[in-house]
This record gives sequence, C-alpha cells and structure tokens, in this order.
Amino acid sequence: MNIDYSQELPVVEGRLTLREINDLIARPMDERPNKKYFIALSFTLSLLFIGAISVALTLYYGIGMWGNNQPVGWAFDIVNFVFWVGIGHAGTLISAILFLLRQKWRTGIARFAEAMTIFAVMCAAIFPILHTGRMWVAVVYLLPYPNQHSLWVNFSSPLIWDVFAVSTYFAVSLVFWYVGLIPDFATLRDTTASKIKKVIYSIFSLGWRHSHRNWQHYEKSYMLLAGFATPLVLSVHTIVSFDFAVSILPGWHTTIFPPYFVAGAIFSGFAMVVTVLIFVRKIFDLENIITINHLEKMNKVILATGMMVGYAYAMEFFIAWYSGNPIEQFVFINRAFGPYAWAYWIMVSCNVIFPQFFWIKKIRRSIPIMLMIVIFVNIGMWFERFVITVTSLHRDFLPSSWGYYTPTLVDFGVLIGSFGLFFTLVLLFTKTLPVVSISEVKAVAEGAQPSHNGGDH
Amino acid sequence: MSQSNLNYIKKDLPTSLQKIGFLLIGIGVIGGAGAFLLNAEQAAFNYLLGFMFLMSIGVGALFLISLEYVAGADWSTPLRRVIEFTASITPFLIILAIPILLNMHTLFHWSHTEVVESDKILKEKAPYLNQTFFFIRVAIVFALWTLFYFLLTRNSRKQDISKDQNLTRVNIRLSAVFIPLFAITASIASIDWMMSLEPHWFSTIFGVYFFSGSVLSALAVITYATVKLREGGYLHPRMVKDHYYSLGSLLFVFVNFWGYIAFSQYMLIWYANLPEETFWFLARWQGSWIYISLALIFVHFIVPYSILLSQPAKMDAKKLKFASLWILFAHLLDLYWLILPTFKGESTLLNFVLGLSFPVAAVGGIILLFYFNSKKTNMVPVGDPKLERGLNFRL
Repeated sequence: MNIDYSQELPVVEGRLTLREINDLIARPMDERPNKKYFIALSFTLSLLFIGAISVALTLYYGIGMWGNNQPVGWAFDIVNFVFWVGIGHAGTLISAILFLLRQKWRTGIARFAEAMTIFAVMCAAIFPILHTGRMWVAVVYLLPYPNQHSLWVNFSSPLIWDVFAVSTYFAVSLVFWYVGLIPDFATLRDTTASKIKKVIYSIFSLGWRHSHRNWQHYEKSYMLLAGFATPLVLSVHTIVSFDFAVSILPGWHTTIFPPYFVAGAIFSGFAMVVTVLIFVRKIFDLENIITINHLEKMNKVILATGMMVGYAYAMEFFIAWYSGNPIEQFVFINRAFGPYAWAYWIMVSCNVIFPQFFWIKKIRRSIPIMLMIVIFVNIGMWFERFVITVTSLHRDFLPSSWGYYTPTLVDFGVLIGSFGLFFTLVLLFTKTLPVVSISEVKAVAEGAQPSHNGGDH
Repeated sequence: MSQSNLNYIKKDLPTSLQKIGFLLIGIGVIGGAGAFLLNAEQAAFNYLLGFMFLMSIGVGALFLISLEYVAGADWSTPLRRVIEFTASITPFLIILAIPILLNMHTLFHWSHTEVVESDKILKEKAPYLNQTFFFIRVAIVFALWTLFYFLLTRNSRKQDISKDQNLTRVNIRLSAVFIPLFAITASIASIDWMMSLEPHWFSTIFGVYFFSGSVLSALAVITYATVKLREGGYLHPRMVKDHYYSLGSLLFVFVNFWGYIAFSQYMLIWYANLPEETFWFLARWQGSWIYISLALIFVHFIVPYSILLSQPAKMDAKKLKFASLWILFAHLLDLYWLILPTFKGESTLLNFVLGLSFPVAAVGGIILLFYFNSKKTNMVPVGDPKLERGLNFRL
C-alpha cells in the first residue's frame, strides 16, 4: 500500500455525520444488555469471587497464607502492585501526553484508556494494603497525621512516597477523566429518553450548556490538567522503581531503573489497552472511530517501548559485567541461568523478541496476530516484575540463606481476583458511560477542522 | 500556494558568516596550540570537551532527522534543512578524533597496560577497555553515523529535484533502522569517551544521560539557527510562531528530561551510598568543583525551565534565542563537569582561558558548516511531500 505523504490520514474513517457519531457511541447505554454481556459479566464476577475468598483467607489467617518466605520476603504482592500500576500508565499517557503532543488519533482511545488507568490503580492498591497485614490500622503507618506520640511514617522510605505518588496520580486521573466526561454527560442529558437517566446526567454535567464560554474554560482546564498529569505519570513509576533501586541489593540497585520502569509501564499499559480495545471496537461497532490505523500506531509505540526495555536489560547485563563486582555479576548470571531461568526467558522472549514482529506492517495491522503479541507482552511484563523481585532476593549473600519461592493458591487467587475486579469494572463502564469521547471525536471527524483545506485561519 | 512557487528559496548566507566562522576557528586553533604547548595534559582534556560538544550536537541532530521521519511529523519539515546542516558535523568526527587517539595515554587511565596489570578490577574490564577494541568501536560507531547521515541527507536533497515520494518512504525505513542503532552506538560512545575516563566507575543510566544532553544541545542549535534564519528571510515566510512553539516545547521537554535523568542518577547513588559509586560524585564535590556541581542545577535546569515554562515564551523569538544560547552554555558546563574532574594536574587561569579555545573553534565550525551547506543546498526541502502540510501547521 502506498501512502500519499502530502495528505494527512483521516482520524475517523468514513464520513460519519455528527448525529451518527452521537448515536454510535451512546447506543450501548440506551440498549438493554444482551445475553453475551451477562455471560461475560458472570465470568468476571466469578474471578472476582475467587479473589474475594483469597482475600478473606489472607485476612483471617494472615499473610502466612502466601508463599513469601525467607529470603523472598517480597513476592506476588509487589509484583502484582507494580504490574497494575504499570498498566495504569497508558491511560494518562494517552490522554495527557498525546494531548500535549497534539496527536489527534488519541481521541478515539483516550476515554477508554483513562478508565483503565483508574481501574488498574484500584487493582494495584489491593496488594500493598493487604501486605500491611492489619490494614485497618494501616492508616497509622501509611498516612502522616499529627499525633501526641510523635508517631510518624518513615519519610525516608520510597514505599511511603509511593502512597503519596499513587494516590495523587489516582486523584488527578479521576478528575481528568471526569472533566473530559462533562460535555458528553451534557450531550447524553439532551438526547436521552429516560427521565431517571436525565436527572443523573444533569447532575453530572454540572449545568453544561455547550456555550462558547463553557468550551473556553473547558479547554483551558483540560490543558492545565494535562500539564499536571504529565509529570505525575513519570513520577509514579519513577518512585515505584525507587522502591527497588534505592536499596543496595544487586539486581535492584542500578541507576537506569527510573526511565526503564517508565518505559516498561508505557509498554505494558499500551499492550493492555490494545488487548481490550480489539474487543471493544468489534462488539460496539466502533471500527470507524477506533480504526486499524490507531491500533497500528499503538503497536508502533509498543515496538518502540519494547526496545527501550530491551535496551535496559542489555545495559544492566553489560554494566553488571563491566562493574567488575562479582556479586553483581553473580546475580545476573543467576537470573538468566539459575533456578528462575524459565521466568527470565519468558520475560525476554515476550518483551523483546515477540514485539519485533511489529516491524512488519502486515502484522501491525492484523488483528489476530496483534492480539497474540499484546497478550504475550502482558505476560512478559508481569514476569519482568517477578524476575526483578524474586530472582534478586532468592539467593541471599550467604549460601546458607538461599531459598526458592513458590506461590500458593491464595497468591494466585488474589491475582485472579484483581483481574476479575479490573474486567468487571471495564464491563460496567462500557454500559454506563460513553467509551469514546463524543465531543472530541466530533472535533476530529472529516470536515470539522477549520483549516481543512490548507491556508491560514 | 503551489509546490512550484517554493523553488525560489535558494539563498546564500551572507559572507560575513564565513568570516566569523574562520575567525573563531583561527582563534581556536591558535589558542588550542598554545594550550597544548603550555600544558599538553590539560589541553587534551579540553580538546575532548570541545570534541564531545560537537559530537553530542551532531549526533543529536541526526537522531532528530530520523525522529521526524519515523514519527511522521510534519511541522518540522520546513526546517529540516537546518537540522540536516547541524547533523553535517558527524562526518568530521572521525578526523577530529585523531588528536584524542594520539593522546590516549594522557586521557584514559586504562590504556596503560602496566596500570591494568596491577589493578584487579581493570584487569577484569580489559576485554572491553583495551586500545584495539576501543579503536574498532570508534571506527564502527563513526562509520555508522556517517553512513546514515549521507544516506538520509542524500535522499532528502534528491527529493528537491525529483519530488519523488518514494524517497520519503526509503528515509522512513532508514530512520527506523537507525534509531535502535543510534541507541546502541550513542551509549557505546558515551561510555567510551566519558564514562571510561574514570574506569572504575559505572552507571547504567549514563548512556541515557548523554542522550538527553545530546538531543537538548542539538535542539538548541537548531532553534537558534531557525529563528535567526527565519528572521533573515532565509526560511519560508509561512513558518510562523506555531513552528517556534514546537521548538520551544521540545527544548522545554528535554530540559526536563535532562533534569529527570540527572536527578535519577544522583538520587540513587546518593541514597545507596556505595563507595564504589559515590567516589565519582565526591570528586565533583571537592574544592571548587562543588560550585560547578551546584551551578549545574541552576544553569542546566532551573533557569531554562523558568524561561521556557510559559506558553507565550515558547513562541517568543527573543526568548527562544536567549534560551538556546543559554542551553548551549549549560551543555558545555555539563560536559566540563563530566570530563575535567578526571584531570588531576595543576591548572592556572591562563590554562583555563586557553582551554576555552576548543569550544570556540567548535562554534566556528558549526557556523562554517551552515555557510557552506547553504551554498550547495536549498534552505527548505522544497520537494518534500510533507512540506505543504508542515507550512500549514497551526496549533
């Protein structure tokens, strides 16, 4: 296929009228959910139920129900936490950073990605909170509050910075998401036939009138929020990387961790967004709005960030050798060829090798192959956190303190439950809110641009 | 405006530029010769400083060319020739490296075989840090950069006449191949030329640190040149504030990126407090180096950040010019901070002043490259299919 570089590709395919865009996006909220929806929902709820049982067991018997041992004191809890926080990065990246970069193709996918951010951060929060043990008193050692005993949190620990970073990120993402929804709530309010819905939409649309002044304020606040959210995206995973890198443990302490973690987060987040969008665009007939071009662009981002992650793996390995430090060298050899070699090679093949197929345009645009690769990336990025955490811990400095970590059923149960929570929320979201921003898509539809035919405006 | 109307853009830059360029190079060569006569060891370090200054700008610009192609950006197409002119430093690097290779033993502690023999750690690193392999790496890295520079710019120039869209396609492919190669080669270059000055020290982020400074300084040259050339009427009149804004934003982003990477490196080493890593920062904290370390935070981050933060500032020609020159100075300071602490000898004021002649010559060289490139090449890529889109670019 030959592209004409003198023309910009249309963001929305086909010449949809504004009314058609409206109806297409609002339809899932007006129709009654069908049988398939309930089958899907009951499946995700079952996963959630497994998770609930596992959490109950953990709370009743304590975190001894997990496989954590000496020397592997950190395992599934931190692995799953970092995994979900990483997934939560794509949303704000797409909505804030791509907005600042004026990438129009983000409009079709931004809303969904933002929702996934919020859900993923909620999933992430489960794990550290559970690991605190008696989480009902966790507030004492997670949140600083004035008290007579001068009992303060450990401000010099990156774990406490995480509490601030993640909760700030969550709050800003939520506000950002909501601000973007306001014009759409107003559109829904004006078009819905149901009286109850009209009341609900009216409340949430905050009296939006689509007036010139409304839009002016909206644009300004959206820009400002995007500006705030951008450093937050980077800071969250930077601080998550600090959890490991400020220590002196070989395999954890290395200076490339902050940018490497951020790249990995974008990588895994994009993979998850593509995974979900493939189904959403099909089920809700959004193929004209979330086009194959958008998916291709996201696959390019996956390829690029996958290579950044590969660069970091290689650099870590090289510097471990270059440092001349025998313990550092041992940890990396052990990572690749020790008892956890299987995990390491799953990570490398899923994160570095499989995404290389995206060099080929046909594969970037083929839904089935794309789906396979992004699922591999999801798996690979989970294993990356597993490799970093467990392989660095399981062979302590003294051979007498060597061990092996095997997760228990409860460990898996909580992980499965987090997936259940995530997909249940995603399913509920598709039926209650517009999964694509109605107002933004209208702005990028063919014929909507003021300078469409070139020349100054 | 039709494509054919764009052909008028072929103006030579004023000859005064040639005079300035040669003057600066003349001062640089004389001063540099003086520096080598007075204190050859210190001069070698200062030469390396000037060399790294040119290398980082040249390869940073080469990266930006390929980034435009890969990302499919159109706003930067009208000013791509400016980026290409900046990248034309790369073919000269191999020649400019010769004086450093002749001074290997002065600069690189690890190049002394007798030192390596008595040092356990250096002995282990010897398979990488040895002269033969070093020369091979230098040759491969510079050859690759030069190759991609010629391929990318040749296609771009050919397109001026043929207007063939296929050339854009070829360049996109070349760029996609170049970017991963660039990541590897730039990391190797930064480790070889700068990190190995302290052969015991290591940091996995060092390549990224070099990358951030490199792209930032290249952007500073490009921004300054674009604004100057546009004001002088050498670029297309439909290039407006919106294009400036993009350059200003990129500068702002890379100022932040550099700050982020520099902070990450410092923070992690400071917090872990391992003597095998901290000695590098401690050397930059002793004597008067502490002032340079602290100044770097202000000069390289806080000041350019404050200048470029607001939206109007990113479009303001005056502020952009000032910020670009400031950033170039900051980059020089950064390189000085990276390289010179390894020089342990005595220094006098005269030595210091003469050492500045190398960066002066580097600036003169960049000016001359612009002058001579403009003689044989259009200042605007008139045959690029994305040019019209780029000129129509508005925020």
